[in-house]
Amino acid sequence: MTKYGIKVLPKKEVLDSQGRAVQSVLEKAGFSLDDCHIGKYFEVKTDKGEVEIKKMAEYVLFNPLIEEITIESL
Amino acid sequence: MDKNLEEKLKSYGLSVEEYEKAKGIVGGELTQIHWALFSSLWSEHCSYKSSKIHLKNLYNDSKKLVSEDGENAGVVDLGEGERVAFKMESHNHPSFIEPFQGAATGVGGILRDIFTMGARPIALANYLCFGEKGSDRLEQLIEGVVSGISFYGNCVGVATVTGQTEFDKSYNTNNLVNAFALGYYGKDDEITSSKVKTPGLDVVYVGAKTGKDGVHGASMASESFDEDSESKRPTIQIGDPFYEKCLIESCLEVLSKGLVESMQDMGAAGLTSSSFEMSFGGGRGLDIDLSKVPLRDSSMGPEEILLSESQERMLLVCKPENLEEIVSTFSKWGLDAVKIGTVREEKEIKLKWNNELICEIDPAKIVDGAPRYDRPYKKIEAVDVDSAQTSDYDLSTALSSTQGSSRKWIYKQYDQRVGARTQADCDSPLGIIRLPESGRELGMVLGCRPAVMRINARLGGFDSFLSPALQLQIKGFTPWAVTDCLNFGNPQKEHIMGEFVSSLEAMSEACRVYEAPIISGNVSFYNETENQNITSTPATGVVGLKESKDFKTPASVFQKTGSKILMFSCQQVIWSGYGAEVVGDKTWVNGELNPEMVKDFGDSISELVKEGKVLSSRLVSKFGISYALSKMVTSDIGFESELDGEGSEFWNEEEMYQVLLEVEEKDVNDFMKNPYFNTVLGVTESDGSLHYDNNSYTYDQINKVALEAWGDNFEGLE
Amino acid sequence: MAKTIGVVRFLGTNCDEDIYKAVEQVGAKAKWLWYQDSFNEAEVDGVVVPGGFSYGDYLRCGALAAKSTVMDSVEEFAKKGKPVLGICNGFQVLCERKLLPGVLLKNDSGKFIDQWSGLTPVSKDSFWSIKADVKFPIAHGEGKFFIDSENLKSISDNDQIWLKYSDNPNGSVSDIAGVLNKEKNVAGLMPHPERAMHDWMGGSDGVSLLERFL
Repeated sequence: MTKYGIKVLPKKEVLDSQGRAVQSVLEKAGFSLDDCHIGKYFEVKTDKGEVEIKKMAEYVLFNPLIEEITIESL
Repeated sequence: MDKNLEEKLKSYGLSVEEYEKAKGIVGGELTQIHWALFSSLWSEHCSYKSSKIHLKNLYNDSKKLVSEDGENAGVVDLGEGERVAFKMESHNHPSFIEPFQGAATGVGGILRDIFTMGARPIALANYLCFGEKGSDRLEQLIEGVVSGISFYGNCVGVATVTGQTEFDKSYNTNNLVNAFALGYYGKDDEITSSKVKTPGLDVVYVGAKTGKDGVHGASMASESFDEDSESKRPTIQIGDPFYEKCLIESCLEVLSKGLVESMQDMGAAGLTSSSFEMSFGGGRGLDIDLSKVPLRDSSMGPEEILLSESQERMLLVCKPENLEEIVSTFSKWGLDAVKIGTVREEKEIKLKWNNELICEIDPAKIVDGAPRYDRPYKKIEAVDVDSAQTSDYDLSTALSSTQGSSRKWIYKQYDQRVGARTQADCDSPLGIIRLPESGRELGMVLGCRPAVMRINARLGGFDSFLSPALQLQIKGFTPWAVTDCLNFGNPQKEHIMGEFVSSLEAMSEACRVYEAPIISGNVSFYNETENQNITSTPATGVVGLKESKDFKTPASVFQKTGSKILMFSCQQVIWSGYGAEVVGDKTWVNGELNPEMVKDFGDSISELVKEGKVLSSRLVSKFGISYALSKMVTSDIGFESELDGEGSEFWNEEEMYQVLLEVEEKDVNDFMKNPYFNTVLGVTESDGSLHYDNNSYTYDQINKVALEAWGDNFEGLE
Repeated sequence: MAKTIGVVRFLGTNCDEDIYKAVEQVGAKAKWLWYQDSFNEAEVDGVVVPGGFSYGDYLRCGALAAKSTVMDSVEEFAKKGKPVLGICNGFQVLCERKLLPGVLLKNDSGKFIDQWSGLTPVSKDSFWSIKADVKFPIAHGEGKFFIDSENLKSISDNDQIWLKYSDNPNGSVSDIAGVLNKEKNVAGLMPHPERAMHDWMGGSDGVSLLERFL
């Protein structure tokens, strides 16, 4: 059994409205930051390998029109 | 033709003739900037090139209309210093590609059309059409569209007070999402124009930064879907209702302080269309430096900046001495305001990129010089199919069908009360809000029954105004003004264009009879996927005013036990649409509508209502009388028929138009004197059940059937 | 003299005008409290943190608003024992600020719900106690009140459960619709009393609740 981490973030060119709001609050509080993005993180255990993880992700975990994923084995 | 040119024309959505015409206007070969300008401003979406010659005939010659031509929405006077701006707009194609964001940005866009005119948005509504049960992606589309509307409308804080949802196979591959918004002006509020009239003023960009969102979106919305659509996808536009809420507050604040001369939202074709329309409307040129536009993606060039459809952005024009206060007001609300240009004495627009002139053109030559097409059409005549049979089905069949089932699982997700003005919510056939200053009631109903349009476009055109008008009249409201959202297939097909022209003519004729001007609207053509065209769907939003506070607005459900239910009928058209479709029979119609006679009927019922003795009222619509009665039954108050021997034909027959009134027994004789009185159907009873013609349904049965209609198909959608 | 009630406004608050009107309707004077400003406890006699979508509900409902300057003042005001009422998003903000126990989670249905809900008062003997059952609209996507069993017992023993739903719409623990802090001066509820101020709205039970301020 391998554990995989699936990170889902808004695509670079797509507006990240949540990230924008959080960034502005942090900046007003005096923090210094260049960029802020908010996404989702999944941990999935399977013995079917990374190809299967990719299929799962494409099936429902993310929306390829607006989001991108990174898969890592843990 | 040169292969490269052919490719280019296709990707920019221009025909060879249009290309030649454009070259004539600029006096030579088109630059990349020209391509961008012509492709967006001459798209069907922005130029209305196939519809304009017909739209100018629509009835709007009325003293109630107080806004000028060419503004973002129409404004009507309601008396007592109060006015409302409203409009309905389609977001069909984007909602099919990405239902959640497509629907959300549809709501955001229509709201900007309203507050850009200085009106505070106080009500939303939506008209949705989806494919038949079992069609591909249906669940995903409904789920996405409804949650997109709910996400945006709820968060931005504007109540959704009414709506309509239809299902049919013609929408399987092309759903309709039409969003309606209404904004309010009190005594002290002024209507803001989009027209730029004074040279020397600053041009200021406010709101969100520009990204590559929806570049070429306007030309995409003007094309039919084909298999290539996938690859043509621009970056999806993301709506941010939180940002929009801040934009509403900050824009209304600078307007109320009198700091702004004119304002325009950046909608379809973004900065291009907003700057060209502002400039053309007022006859003054603009000097704009595109390199000053705030960017989310620094790699963007001038062409992309011109075409970007990033959401929540506005352009405004102000005196230079007001700029500082404008910037600080927007900053208070967390938004940027940046000067990007000035208003010129001359009429040409000059576009610059890092101080280098990249284009100079008279906007009138593009906007006014846009192609106009008188597309060939075949007029639709009234049809009259004699004495067909009313379909035989029982009430539970109607209630459990997609067309007859409850929409509660949709509208329960909308905030229907934010603003604390809602008197009648989506449970009721019409939305009612209380006007902030006078406390008078304003009613809103959406119209267009696709089942009628499928039978006959002329009849459907009449009905898309008359049906909502009667919904208002039977509550004592005067139909005041109308917006339309005209969803049609490919206008280059004669029968589609014929349905367009004929339904529009009929709608306009009916509005003229009622003196309810059509004050704003939107046309969405090319709702066609691989040669399958949608049912022609001229949706309407009809707004009515209750001028008097002297009588109580009738409810829409039974109010008392022991009262009588009277039916009134204007006996014009008998038809079988929703009922026939449910059981798979052929649809038919008998008779023709005469809007003058319908108005006389409506006026007559309205007079009765204004006497204050009507407890509840309901227009008989789809599936006939039994279905209408089932919607009036409450957990405490039921109905018992007093008629004998009327078969299912009587209870199921669809007719234009019948009205049910609940009145106290002592008043029945007075009501029977009305020329349209037809019969006493029965009496309300205390058992909370519906009894007619050997049929019996409890309140719980009615609601359970109607709510569970979607069964396993919509597990999770409740 | 009429009591002055402060109405907090964050970016994205959208029930602010509604509660402002409602507070004035019951005879108090309403006063705006902007999210970036602090205020002095002598300026107001009570505070409402209204509903809406502060910061679009991004990150977590109420989390970003809870960090604003005005909330420092609200906290001080509350610690002095003065009355504070959080409605819907305002309830979420007060929970995020730890001025009220518990947390609000996504409704069990996973969806936003707008409907009228019946409520039964539980806490009998405090500033915010109301006598009879009331009916208010709810309108929220994340209104499921959650608290672990140990703390549930503690707030229950301490009479901090303010209101319960008669027909739990969102999966709230123990049907809880509103709670109080230990000292009973801070109250939060998910339903909207300001949308039940006139018969034409569908009910006017909000009047009796807001009159608690007077």
